[in-house]
Amino acid sequence: MILPLIKGLALTLKRFLNPSTCATVQYPEVRPKLASRFRGLPELQIGKDGREKCVACGLCAKACPSGCIYVEGAEDETHRRYPKTYELDAFRCIFCGFCEEACPVRAIILRDTFELSTYKNNQVFDKEKLLGLTRKRDLLKR
Amino acid sequence: MKTVHLVIDDKSIAVPEGTNIFQAAIDNNIYIPGLCYQPKLPQFGGCRLCMVEVTERRTGHRFACAHPVSEGMIVKVNTPKITRYRKSVMEYLLAHHPLDCPTCDKSGECGLQNISYDLNLAPGRFKTTRMNVPVIRDNPLLELNRNRCVLCGRCVSTCKEIEGLGAIDFQNRGIKTVIGTAFDKPLDCSFCGGCVAVCPTGAWQDRTLGFGGRSWEFMKTPTICPYCSVGCTIVLNTKASPPRRDGGVDTVKRVTSDDYTGINEGNLCVKGRFGYEFIHSSERINTPLLRRDNELIPVSWDEAIACISENFKKIIAEHGGASIGGIGSEKSTNEENYLFQKFCRTVLKTNNIDNLSNIKSPFLNGLIYKSVIHGFASASLKDIETATTLFFFGADITEAHPVIGNMARKAIRLKGANLVIANARNVQFQSQARSDVRLRYALGSQVALVNAIMKAIIDGNLVDLKKVEASTNNFPALRGQLNNFDPQLTGISAETIKQAATLLTNNGNSYLVCGKDVEEDPQGKDIIEALLNLCALINAGYNADTNSARISIFFSRSHNNSQGVNDVGVVPGYLPGYADIENASSRETVENVWGVKLPDDMCKKDNQDVFDLALQDKLKALYIMGENPMVNHPDGKKVHDALQKVGFIVVQDTFLTETARKANVVLPSATFAEKEGTFTNMGMLVQRLNKAIPPVGNARPDWQIISDIAKKMGHAFAYASPKDVMVELERVSPAYSGIIYDRLKRKEFHWTSFLLTKNKPLKYTFGVIEPGVLNISVSKDFPFILLTGANLNHQGTFSRHTKALMSVAPECLVEVSRNDARAMGVNNGDVVIIESARNKIKLKAKVSGKVSEGMVFISEDYERQPVNLLRDGAYTPVRIHKEIG
Repeated sequence: MILPLIKGLALTLKRFLNPSTCATVQYPEVRPKLASRFRGLPELQIGKDGREKCVACGLCAKACPSGCIYVEGAEDETHRRYPKTYELDAFRCIFCGFCEEACPVRAIILRDTFELSTYKNNQVFDKEKLLGLTRKRDLLKR
Repeated sequence: MKTVHLVIDDKSIAVPEGTNIFQAAIDNNIYIPGLCYQPKLPQFGGCRLCMVEVTERRTGHRFACAHPVSEGMIVKVNTPKITRYRKSVMEYLLAHHPLDCPTCDKSGECGLQNISYDLNLAPGRFKTTRMNVPVIRDNPLLELNRNRCVLCGRCVSTCKEIEGLGAIDFQNRGIKTVIGTAFDKPLDCSFCGGCVAVCPTGAWQDRTLGFGGRSWEFMKTPTICPYCSVGCTIVLNTKASPPRRDGGVDTVKRVTSDDYTGINEGNLCVKGRFGYEFIHSSERINTPLLRRDNELIPVSWDEAIACISENFKKIIAEHGGASIGGIGSEKSTNEENYLFQKFCRTVLKTNNIDNLSNIKSPFLNGLIYKSVIHGFASASLKDIETATTLFFFGADITEAHPVIGNMARKAIRLKGANLVIANARNVQFQSQARSDVRLRYALGSQVALVNAIMKAIIDGNLVDLKKVEASTNNFPALRGQLNNFDPQLTGISAETIKQAATLLTNNGNSYLVCGKDVEEDPQGKDIIEALLNLCALINAGYNADTNSARISIFFSRSHNNSQGVNDVGVVPGYLPGYADIENASSRETVENVWGVKLPDDMCKKDNQDVFDLALQDKLKALYIMGENPMVNHPDGKKVHDALQKVGFIVVQDTFLTETARKANVVLPSATFAEKEGTFTNMGMLVQRLNKAIPPVGNARPDWQIISDIAKKMGHAFAYASPKDVMVELERVSPAYSGIIYDRLKRKEFHWTSFLLTKNKPLKYTFGVIEPGVLNISVSKDFPFILLTGANLNHQGTFSRHTKALMSVAPECLVEVSRNDARAMGVNNGDVVIIESARNKIKLKAKVSGKVSEGMVFISEDYERQPVNLLRDGAYTPVRIHKEIG
């Protein structure tokens, strides 16, 4: 009866002491490895012309179950539809990914940004902030 | 009319004979898909989607919009065969469609999109090149994207049948067919936006929206248009921002129309559909302003109201209440105007109150009331749609009341109505009337013209004269007098007058719209009395059984509530509901409700014009609510001088107008979108406003401001909402008795017909009018007569703060006749100087066929061009010359 117990404990100790199988990540010194489909903060994507891909169709705002997205479209001088205001309230976001799914132009994608804690009492990402995340990522890639 | 019974989708319904299946289905809430059928337009049959299975004697497939109902018919909307057919039609329609729903503003309310979803369409089998023609944006309001067009023809028939313009039509044939203007010139129309309203796809777009929101984000609030006196229902589309943005701001993003509410059947004019931007204009006053050291400084509400109450109290104590004048508003609600006159009469103890429409034509209220109690003004504007003859006397319908024009065209199209237009100018009214008689009278001959028509009626025995004599008083005197005028004076041939007389006495209902040109004419009183005689003459022989001739009169008013402001008694002569102020018994009812005794010396009918009193140094304070008399009073110089003499001026307005700039205290008031209340239109219909957004900035509704001042001055004005005010008004006013505020939301209140159900129309006494001579002293120095009138694109303070309207009609033009222009060498667009004995202004010229030789026309609705500074009466002699250099 005691033998299986020791056997089990041995496995635990083996895993516990072996650094390659240890589950604890030394965050923030060590960055966790995220799954490719990890759903972090939705980020606005940038098109080939260097501007936001978003066409302000408002489907993300409609699809959002927590109502954290607010879009206001406008017409620019080339009569293109673009978001004059795009706001995402990160406190309310539930990272469901419905916005990504609803987007007809793949302008919003949930990437790996997850460090969202703040001392402020609101955490609203406006258009520039959301685009900035993508810009930073592009810079890092290069 | 015979009723036909049929079955649509197992639902038994009964509809009038002659209805098509589509309309029968709409009336009974049965859905048949379709893109081209629109109840208010003639049937077109272009989209091919409304195919249904019809079993009459045998079963077959018919288009619902083109097939009339028959007794015992069985209709099936969805059978497998029809669904397959419909799917293939949709496949063809979508083969060319750009499918750019994410960027199309129609998305969410698009007919094509809805049907695609309903039919659960798979991607089409056809590989076609999508049309990729450039979008036409040649004007600031409308945009045409032909790629999205399904050629349903709704916009074409709206433009032709409802607006009467035909500015757009089909071009080319076959696969190359597109919608466009003649020779692809820039769109030059009235910009009523009817095409946008009826378009089932996103081909026509309202450019003022500018991608500002999606259809599902809008909260739709039907309310009443704040411009002219027709009282169209407009639907304000507001978008709310989340509470984290300044606590959540509601913004009016666009105006749409609803075909099924209100009197206008979804038809609007350019002002109604595009003139909403002033609500969120940056030029609005956001806080109360107080004059200190000759400058208007923002202060708090409490401070402003304390200052007003102190000053009013001081002035009442020192000089008495009669030294305070009040100007009510033609644009504020009935409730607010009622409170305004109650405030002036009970708190300030003054009867020096007036409104601009009464100042312009002081005789009008009496005559309107006379026409009401004699039963001539008992029709509602909507009845125009059933007219047999329409008579526009001195009214420029196309410019002043475009939606009445739409109703008239409906009568002409469906009922074959005839048209008689009498005007000094060659006013435009496009229609397909079978008989279209134009009486272009000479100025000053209007009474003679009306008398000539009456004489033609009597001479031609067009009415039953015995009956006239029996049912009216004083007919022989009228008949004797009718010979004493010179028919030559009018400049219209006897033949034409006879034709008009015949049309007016045709069997059926005729409607007479008495326009602004008559009301503001120096002889207006005589002309209107003559018109009432004409009405009495025709109506005397009315017999409901034979549907004989009957005429109803409408008085054209300029602003949305010009009728209401007079109805609720913001005039010196009448208490609310046209109760005579000098009559002690009618005063008693009001005094009992108000709990205040009105002193006898205060209640005088023949009070002087408020501005005259000010000029005579009799006024120490002036309280102006929502009005800009500096620009809108016919005599600008008088107002200018009068305001200089008044020591303390309170102005309550939305914008810092010319008048507000002169004020000591300016109070920001809320616009029509931000408050509740009622407006009364020129057809005496009381309609309810609905609040779409909370007041912008620090503005407050006028009724609240008045109550606050009254409370500060120690009087109980305990009103929590306009409803409380209306309840009191209902008790006080004989005209509005029977009105129930909550019921107004569902059904409008037509006070004249309600009044006539209680009291029988009185027996009419013909007034014998000696036509006076009109003195227009055209001299060699001032050879032209200046006419003023309405403009389609502008009205009041609101329109000039609306970007869309300013972009369509940026500047005021002076209309000069072709011959005069040629003689002076003036071309379209040349800058000319118009000079009267008083002043001169510089305007661009427009060579026009509308005015006769020796006349120039300037619209008085451009507030930035103070035409009233030129004027000293209705017809001011002026000279014009081209600007040199």
